[in-house]
Amino acid sequence: MLSSIAKPFAALALAAVLISIVLAALGASPFGVFAALGGGAFGSWYACVDTLVKSTPLIFTGLAVSIAFSGALWNIGADGQLTIGAIAAAAVGTHLENFPHAIAIVIVLAAGALGGAIWGGVAGWLRARRDVNEVISTIMLNFVAVQMLSWMVHGPLMEPSRAYPTSSPIASAAQLEFYFAPSRLNLGMLLAVVLAVACYSLLFNTSAGFELRAMGRNRRAATFFGIRIPALTVWVMALSGALAGLGGAVQVSAISHRLYEKLSPGWGFEAIAVALVARLNPLAVIPAALLFGALDNGSQAMQRTQGISPELVQVIQGLVILIILAFDTPAWNGLRENIFGASSDDAAAVPPVAEMPDA
Amino acid sequence: MLRANAITKRFGRTLALDGVDFEARPGEIHALVGENGAGKTTLMNVLAGSLAPDNGQALLDERPLQAGSPRAALTAGIAAVHQSPMLFERMTWEENLALGGFDTGAELLDLAAVAARARALAAKLGFDLPPAGATVENRSVAERVRLEVLRALSFNPRVLILDEPTSVLAPSELAAFLDLLRNLRGEGRIVVLITHKLSEAIAVADRITVLRRGRVVARTIPAETSEEKLAGLMIGEIVIQPDASAMQLGPGEPVLQVENLTLDDHTRRRILDRLSLRVAAGEIVGIAGVDGNGQTELVELLAGVRKPGGGKITSIGAMAVIPQNRDLDGLILDMRLWENLILARPLREQVTSRGWLNTSRAIDLSRELIERFRIRAPGPEAIAGALSGGNRQRLEVARAIASQPRVIVAHNICRGLDLAATAEVHRRILDFAADGGAVLLISSDLDELLAICGRLLIISGGTVRETNPGERDPERLGLLMAGARD
Repeated sequence: MLSSIAKPFAALALAAVLISIVLAALGASPFGVFAALGGGAFGSWYACVDTLVKSTPLIFTGLAVSIAFSGALWNIGADGQLTIGAIAAAAVGTHLENFPHAIAIVIVLAAGALGGAIWGGVAGWLRARRDVNEVISTIMLNFVAVQMLSWMVHGPLMEPSRAYPTSSPIASAAQLEFYFAPSRLNLGMLLAVVLAVACYSLLFNTSAGFELRAMGRNRRAATFFGIRIPALTVWVMALSGALAGLGGAVQVSAISHRLYEKLSPGWGFEAIAVALVARLNPLAVIPAALLFGALDNGSQAMQRTQGISPELVQVIQGLVILIILAFDTPAWNGLRENIFGASSDDAAAVPPVAEMPDA
Repeated sequence: MLRANAITKRFGRTLALDGVDFEARPGEIHALVGENGAGKTTLMNVLAGSLAPDNGQALLDERPLQAGSPRAALTAGIAAVHQSPMLFERMTWEENLALGGFDTGAELLDLAAVAARARALAAKLGFDLPPAGATVENRSVAERVRLEVLRALSFNPRVLILDEPTSVLAPSELAAFLDLLRNLRGEGRIVVLITHKLSEAIAVADRITVLRRGRVVARTIPAETSEEKLAGLMIGEIVIQPDASAMQLGPGEPVLQVENLTLDDHTRRRILDRLSLRVAAGEIVGIAGVDGNGQTELVELLAGVRKPGGGKITSIGAMAVIPQNRDLDGLILDMRLWENLILARPLREQVTSRGWLNTSRAIDLSRELIERFRIRAPGPEAIAGALSGGNRQRLEVARAIASQPRVIVAHNICRGLDLAATAEVHRRILDFAADGGAVLLISSDLDELLAICGRLLIISGGTVRETNPGERDPERLGLLMAGARD
């Protein structure tokens, strides 16, 4: 467990060394750049909160992807599900002026979760009943969601003056308040963490989660033992969509307060990297999302103070992921076994078809 | 000459091979016998280059083979047929064979030419091939093994190593297959036959090497040994086969009834044709037949994996199914042992309350079952894939019996198991029936069925027929399996 946390940091360090070489070659000071990156991400209270703000949607979508991938359902559509969740939250949220705050919040978040659940559930139903590959259907539904958002902010949900392609702000009762304003600390972040724990518990402490993992590891064997694959597929995809949709609702309720085009900068796609770096472990999604959020946030400071383009941050992110995945090999596991002792939670450390002696 | 010098191979804390010397000469069939886990497969993998030994060396004609390179072994002329066929599930059988060494004389892939050459070779061996363009995923285990034998032979190898190839062959195919091995020997090739069927080793081999717990315990020739002696060498003790005739089977109430079961595949080919049978409490009913006559589909229908086109399955009480392909259908190899046990719903329900899984109770239950069914494993948390074939089968049997079903449907449960493991699995099945359970045992191994079944049915062309009570003549039964009418 300890070593599985240490690994991403080792990978990060190796990435930093590689980036330093690139930076030095470009004539920039690696130290200055990294100081700016770190300072921008964690240098002050506000920087830390902004890192959290940027990480929160990635936790929601990262959990969505982790849950679906655990069942070998390749949900590439977290972005669309988040978008539909945001649309549903905004559409409902503008009408909640006279509701008590707590109830308005619950309604807005429920609307987002429901929207995402429908969007994911449709892909699940298509897979279960019509055998449509969910990779294709979720990508297609992403396109539909993006265009639906565009139509909404130019049409039914456009603000009354009709000057800007945005929706009206949602009712203040439906907005998650900021603590220690002007910091943007809000309860959405806490919700993300609670859901990560809940998802972990679902996967590893419930019978339903066991069925989901069994389906993910060996669909045929799961079928033989009476696990109802079609129903499970629909439920898992709906749950995955609900998590992403909830992320969209939290974004609208806490941060943006309204809809606009390109609401998501690609959180649903970045989520795939987040989930894979976390090795589909919902608890590990939190640090993985924080890592990506911090890199995003720090890049702005890096750009301001060092004149380094934010594109370089994308290069860093790419390298970090590649190196983490490259570290995830039997050779590395063997090395770790030598250093830390055999870890019980690693299938890869066992030779796959070794014969146990009959003794 | 194929030679292994002082090969040692360790998996974690397990010593699989301990300084093994082995040699096989051109123009001989060399049988390698031993219990499950004795190291036969590991030795084959070292010779075929798929495993690098920790110590020692493999040589062909005194030239060292590059360790851990299947390609180098193949180039040197060593081809292997694995016990669990290594085929590409989603590709057609022609595509799978195209990865072999058939020389079509063309630069580009010519599947038709590959298929034609494969058919020619298959005809020579008396093998049936699947219909053109069929993917491997729905083929029976026997068909897969035949494909792999063809692929290995396509390389025109000087050395052919076969890991338990005969356990899935029908009696009608066996003679032709053994003739094939003799032909290969006649051409001056080296044939290494890994088997647990001692009668076969004695019948066909020129020399026999016996492995026990990673060591060579004997090298002998058939004239100087016997099945009993070999069995003693392999396990260090004499196994007493369970005696089914001692069991008095009273006609209990019918527990499993199948009526007019009918199934067509997606090409509308009839797979099962108004199949009816009935199994009563306390009896073991065997279904004998050549693989590919509807057995796999029958098991899938009984397990509820597919729906029949027509007919009815009635079962009083719970049914546990042990599918034939334990690595694909029966187990989840990269999950833990305890997780594989609670794959069975009754066991899962024992450790679940209100939807919450009690992991520590599941592990305790698994520890109990590991002990009770003598599964050799490091513990409940071990990955199922780390177990040997015999122990994987013990795991499946343990799971089925611990689920406390009224009926067990088992398909080829002793494939690839050695004497001791087979006897133990049979004893568990007999005990289950003696306690009032009903068993439907589907197998292509006639010896097994004759050993433990009270009643024997023959499946052929998707329908079953009862045999005369007391019919025990393998030759006549073999004819019935091939489709003859009485």
